[in-house]
Amino acid sequence: MTTVKPVVVAESLEARKASRLSVLGFFMALPPMLLVICFVGAPILIAFTFSLGWTTGPNRVVSIIGQEIHKKDQWWGTFGAYKDVFHDSRFPGDLRTTLLVTLISTTLVLTMALGIGIYQRMIGGRIASIMTILTLVPLFVPVVIASWAIHTFYAGDGFMRTLMSHFGIDFPTLTSTSTAIAIGTIWTSLPFAILMVTSGLQSVPDALIETAQDAGAGFFRIIRTVLIPLALTPIVIAGTFTAIGIMGSFTIPLFLGPNQPTMLGVEISNFFGSYNRPQQSIVMAFIVFAAASGIAFIYIWANVRSAKQSGRI
Amino acid sequence: MARKDKARVKTSNPLVKVLLVIFMICMAIFILGPLVWLGVHAFVTNWTYPNLTPDGWTLHWWTKVLDDSALEAAIRNSLIISPIVVLCSMVICLPAAYAAGRMNYAGRKTFLIGMFAANSFPKIGLFASIATLYYALNLMGTVFGIIIIQLLGTIIYMTWIPAAAFAAVPRNLEEAARDAGASKFRVFRTITLRMAMPGILVAIVMSFLASFDEAQGTYLVGAPAIFTMPTEMYSLVQNYPIQVAAVFSLLLAIPSVLLISLARKHIVGGQLAEGFQIK
Amino acid sequence: MAEVVQQDGLVLNGLTKILGGRVIIDDLHLVVNKGEMVSLLGPSGCGKTTTLRMIAGFLIPDKGDILLDGKDVTTLGPEKRPSAMVFQNYALWPHMTVFNNVAYPLKVRKMQKPEIEKRVHDALGLVNLMHHKDSRPGQISGGEQQRVALARALVQEPDILLLDEPLSNLDAKLRVKVREDIRELQRRLGITTVIVTHDQDEALSISDRIAVMNNGKIEQFSTPQELYDRPETEYVANFIGSLNHVTGGYADGQIVPGSDVVGIRPEDVHFSNEQVSGSFPATVELVVPRGHFCEVYLKRADVELRAFISANVPTAGKQGFARIGKALVYHDGKLIRVA
Repeated sequence: MTTVKPVVVAESLEARKASRLSVLGFFMALPPMLLVICFVGAPILIAFTFSLGWTTGPNRVVSIIGQEIHKKDQWWGTFGAYKDVFHDSRFPGDLRTTLLVTLISTTLVLTMALGIGIYQRMIGGRIASIMTILTLVPLFVPVVIASWAIHTFYAGDGFMRTLMSHFGIDFPTLTSTSTAIAIGTIWTSLPFAILMVTSGLQSVPDALIETAQDAGAGFFRIIRTVLIPLALTPIVIAGTFTAIGIMGSFTIPLFLGPNQPTMLGVEISNFFGSYNRPQQSIVMAFIVFAAASGIAFIYIWANVRSAKQSGRI
Repeated sequence: MARKDKARVKTSNPLVKVLLVIFMICMAIFILGPLVWLGVHAFVTNWTYPNLTPDGWTLHWWTKVLDDSALEAAIRNSLIISPIVVLCSMVICLPAAYAAGRMNYAGRKTFLIGMFAANSFPKIGLFASIATLYYALNLMGTVFGIIIIQLLGTIIYMTWIPAAAFAAVPRNLEEAARDAGASKFRVFRTITLRMAMPGILVAIVMSFLASFDEAQGTYLVGAPAIFTMPTEMYSLVQNYPIQVAAVFSLLLAIPSVLLISLARKHIVGGQLAEGFQIK
Repeated sequence: MAEVVQQDGLVLNGLTKILGGRVIIDDLHLVVNKGEMVSLLGPSGCGKTTTLRMIAGFLIPDKGDILLDGKDVTTLGPEKRPSAMVFQNYALWPHMTVFNNVAYPLKVRKMQKPEIEKRVHDALGLVNLMHHKDSRPGQISGGEQQRVALARALVQEPDILLLDEPLSNLDAKLRVKVREDIRELQRRLGITTVIVTHDQDEALSISDRIAVMNNGKIEQFSTPQELYDRPETEYVANFIGSLNHVTGGYADGQIVPGSDVVGIRPEDVHFSNEQVSGSFPATVELVVPRGHFCEVYLKRADVELRAFISANVPTAGKQGFARIGKALVYHDGKLIRVA
């Protein structure tokens, strides 16, 4: 069981080497690449020039429609829109909410995924399987519905308050608070994290756990020194995807969060649409992107690390 | 046999058992509670706080939703656009997935990481950026524009998951088929494709859902000309009573539940997780 | 029921294990003396690995006791048992260096750093792997991984060493060398050892005694020589070495009509041109070279016998005389007579 995998990898690696630099492969890979370059890469680049005050060419139309547009005053552009954003009184609160929700939700999601995953791997049984199936339910539910369902559940006349009032407890109205955003993001992020983490933990061969047991290691030591290090790559992937997803989320804070301060995803939309200040909106998007890139770096590091460990590099 | 012998530890402490059951109940309320609460609202006349039961039961909201032409148009749009998006995605991405899984070509790693980097730009920011491009290209408010927007969200599923599935097909099975006299194409059709099918199926399901559930970009590009089911929800929750949104939610959830149940075995079986590790 | 013997070494007393409704191990008794090397030999599915896992503590028997040096360890978990196991695929942790793999059991025991260092070096020295101590398992060969796994087991100074098919992943040449190394090391350290294998060559060459298992029971437990010379059951005779089967009886070097099974080792069948007492006429049907000897198929009327002949090999078609040196006679699968 344990020996099969590396063999397959080595085999496919060999086959890859055999067809080194296949021209056909390059052209087969081209269509989605072009799509991404045209409709993700290019817009982001153009938007970046726009954020620096380049208002001609593809940015002409939006510059005419939008308000408070900064035009470049140096050869490279201007930081006018960036200054606007950083001096905006609501920006610090929005940024803090975004980072805090991302941090707290990701931590909780990972903790829950690890807890359930380890429980399933080490102890198992009916409770574990029920729990895993339960946590996969959000996968079935579109984000819009989930947000709205959670909105009504924790609303002033929602279930939690209804139920608690019968026990004489005045349960707080969570809807329209940052807590509700955190609840919503945890709710929607759980399935992916659980899938990644449990599959990572399940693929740790039994023998590696049993030798540790045989060597005298206890439950927690096995988890700390064998299970988690061996499943670190999928755990990190789960964490980074969760964090990036939460950081850029829009629908959940829109439905569940307060008007002020809210997450930057909502503010990007507000500035673009309601306030008609597209340049400032784009600037915020780049601020979120910068933060997400930092997280993405961890993801790539994790992938390289796992490739190194299995001897592929 | 291997499953039965999994390295396991026994729990005999009854206190631990009780705590676990309590934790499980909390999780059940946390996850299922909101769905059940919203679902029940689709069948009630009104619910006065803080009563534990609704004022009465009715199917009135269902007829209201099904008779509303705007809502009906949204449902129709969704059911037309999403399959088109998935088909386009398959045509564009599956050859690339095969290449990524089985061949080495200049920029293979860059390709995979590039797909990921595209995913880490905040969606709403990307849509705002795309909107400026769409103004220039006259794609605002067009179905074509929406299809492209939704296509972007499916690429990551449609390349990564099948790529991992293609890579996992053992070479010697194909060689055996070649040896048995099958043509290259026949080997691909009967062996490679067949064995990668679970991964492709998961990719199709995830792509369909990604497209079907996509709201932010579709709203930005489509509104107010074209609404799909999820974008309709945005206006619905603001303009209609909660019961209508509840009915609409149940309708919106049907495809997801159907599709994921279909592919549940493979999703839980690790096809999804396998696809998210760059190899 | 056998009595519980109060003695050093390992005692398995009436072990029974049921897995998935099937009886895997059925009332198994075994006594391994201190410092002895014992093989559990049998085909896959005979229960040898299950037995080993019960000795290690990964499985708890449904019935019976396990005693180690007179102490009952039946329900002790693997982490509390003074046993150390080497797994079939070595089970080295890929994320740790060779040194850390070997040091792990000592770190678990909260030993002082210098002491750990010293012991790990000793263990790696024992298996000649000092130069690889900073390598990762993925960077060294299969044979070397094998030795790391062995070092990791030995560093624990276990009361009993358990080896689960330790050589099955090595190529044929290396296997012979490593099994001699293991044997030599085991002798030198005087460590009680139980080894699971399906390879009779391996078992015969390495063990003090061999327990041949079949369907969750031990068919025979004796020294390699005895196992070969006096296989108590037809099953054991078949499993150890080669055997000619002839239904009939055996009298005065001749196969006579009867209902028992006569088992004759091919090396006990001789062929010559002249008739001597006890020989009978036979024709050479086929000669298959086997390296340092030839496998010769002889035919006498309705009986066909295989013979291993190393000198004066006849050619096919030749007529001559065959003589049986030794025969094992089985009735209902049990040995009744050696003649």
